[in-house]
Amino acid sequence: MSVRVVVVDDHHIFRTGVRTELLEAAPGLIEFVGEAANVEDAIAVIRKTEPDVVLLDVHLPGGTGKGGVDIIHGCPGVETAAGTPVRFLALSVSDSAEDVIAVIRAGARGYVTKTISAVDLASAIKRVADGDAVFSPRLAGFVLDAFGVASGEIAEVDEELDRLSAREREVMRLIARGYQYKEVAKELFISVKTVETHVSSVLRKLQLSSRHELTAWAMGRRLI
Amino acid sequence: MAHTPAEPRRLSRPTQGRMLAGVCRGLATHLGVEVLYVRIAFVLLTIASGAGIAAYLFLWAMTPVEEAPETIDPAKPQPATPKTASQNAIPRGGMLLAIGALITVAGAIVLLQGTGTDVRAGLLLPALLVAIGAIVAWAQLDATQRARWAGVTGWGGFGLARLGLGLVVVVLGLLAFVTRGQSLAQVWDVALATVSILIGAALICLPFAVRLWGDFRREQEARVHEATRADIAAHLHDGVLQTLALIQRSADDPAAVIGLARKQERELRAWLYGSTDDPSETLAAAVTAAAAEVEELHGVPIDVVVTGDRPLDDGGRTLVRALREALLNAVRHGSPPVSAYVEIGPRAVEAFVRDHGAGFDVSAVPSDRLGVKESIMGRMTRHGGTAEVRRRDPGTEVILTMPHDERAKDAGESRIPEPVVVPESVPDRGEKAV
Repeated sequence: MSVRVVVVDDHHIFRTGVRTELLEAAPGLIEFVGEAANVEDAIAVIRKTEPDVVLLDVHLPGGTGKGGVDIIHGCPGVETAAGTPVRFLALSVSDSAEDVIAVIRAGARGYVTKTISAVDLASAIKRVADGDAVFSPRLAGFVLDAFGVASGEIAEVDEELDRLSAREREVMRLIARGYQYKEVAKELFISVKTVETHVSSVLRKLQLSSRHELTAWAMGRRLI
Repeated sequence: MAHTPAEPRRLSRPTQGRMLAGVCRGLATHLGVEVLYVRIAFVLLTIASGAGIAAYLFLWAMTPVEEAPETIDPAKPQPATPKTASQNAIPRGGMLLAIGALITVAGAIVLLQGTGTDVRAGLLLPALLVAIGAIVAWAQLDATQRARWAGVTGWGGFGLARLGLGLVVVVLGLLAFVTRGQSLAQVWDVALATVSILIGAALICLPFAVRLWGDFRREQEARVHEATRADIAAHLHDGVLQTLALIQRSADDPAAVIGLARKQERELRAWLYGSTDDPSETLAAAVTAAAAEVEELHGVPIDVVVTGDRPLDDGGRTLVRALREALLNAVRHGSPPVSAYVEIGPRAVEAFVRDHGAGFDVSAVPSDRLGVKESIMGRMTRHGGTAEVRRRDPGTEVILTMPHDERAKDAGESRIPEPVVVPESVPDRGEKAV
């Protein structure tokens, strides 16, 4: 069964490019059901087509000016025909920690940069459609920085929201080093499924943690 | 900024070498005469008819303060006033002196009045009061202007208090002037009437004042906005437009185009999101700069992720050099994507360089090739760190570890690295055993 995808980006050329590349790289895997160039159109298209995955640009015109975050907030509880929630994968050129953290905390299941290869993007879409999280090396680096892992903070129990567990830290470190999930699994002698569980757990912490440094850190990274 | 003959010399009040508000000094500089003569002239004028004070106040109000001390005519060396305390436009001492002088004059008048000489104190005293108030309030105006140049905007509480005090003194002086020779009850009536008229006038003027203030703020904001826009436009012009022109010219050379585009992207990113840290001061900035350099040399994109940061020390510099060497190897012999991850922890720095090439066996490298053995491994071990080359599928990963040199904090950074016997096998890293 193919993954139904909506592309939201304010650049027509980019939407067309992504579509062409993905159809070439993973024929049959992805079905494009709609596209939008601004916040209002995107919300309408998502509500109408109920896709599995929305490829979401972070900066978009319309809404309250928060771009991708507005779209996620505008589609609460929208589900696909199969009853799974519509999932969002942020796809952006922005490197700024503030953008990344904002869109993840709004509910996106992952963050990749636009320089990602078509094959990697296809597997990221598949992963998000399956309910897993997608972390780029840069996002993993952000997480390690924001959770104070670099300064040696480690959670005593896995459930702690404000810190990463030792295993989550290892997984994040390997992803930051450019490892694919299967390489991470091999390195740590665990299954790919377990790696996915750890990454999802980190994503949950990133979304739910009230760790005050998280926002402060993202703000501090902003310049001008 | 030197005075050119074409430029008209404008009267201004210097901020240095002044007694009161710099009027005499400015005038002296402007006319090209000794400041002493100007001052004597003012004093004589004051004694003769009081015109000196009027002229002084007039000039004070009408002459702008000199914008920078450097514009003082260099041909006229200032009497030594190097004390920074005297930089205040109105020295505190001078201010006190002026007030003291005024009070003395007031006392003298009262005394003369007592001896029977009619100095018409009823007129003079209120006039003096008005003068004092005006000085206090205007001095505040000067200070605010100065603060604006220094980048401090808005009025401090002290400044407002000073302005308020000045106004109160002026109002009291005017009241005394108008109501002289009348009974206290009459004075009270007049004061009440004055205050109610003032309140009425304020009520009428308030909307206008508010609108005027709003307009002023809007205009200021627009100006700031415009300045930001001009800044961005200048940046785009210097960087992006130039690169676009270059790209168009070298359109038939894909490698050059990619290199140019990548370089411009990096610059733009650094400008938009990057830190302004100096690569010679912090480790994270040094790592980023080294990666950018390698990227530029070979045109292969490198994904750099750095977490944490610390000041750059000897160990950090060594790590950056070894990292640069590892990155060079990765872009030369490996294949993209090339990524680097540097974790600056509380006890050590760890750096990982990963490429996706065919990989190579370290033990199979001929001994005359010093790239990996000397520039990376030898360099790291000499400074107390470790280096490890791991074969991955696909590609190669170089792992560098450099513990923070705690001793460097005590002994300064002049510690001579002790030569360590280079072990062929690199110590096993704990991370593997996780």
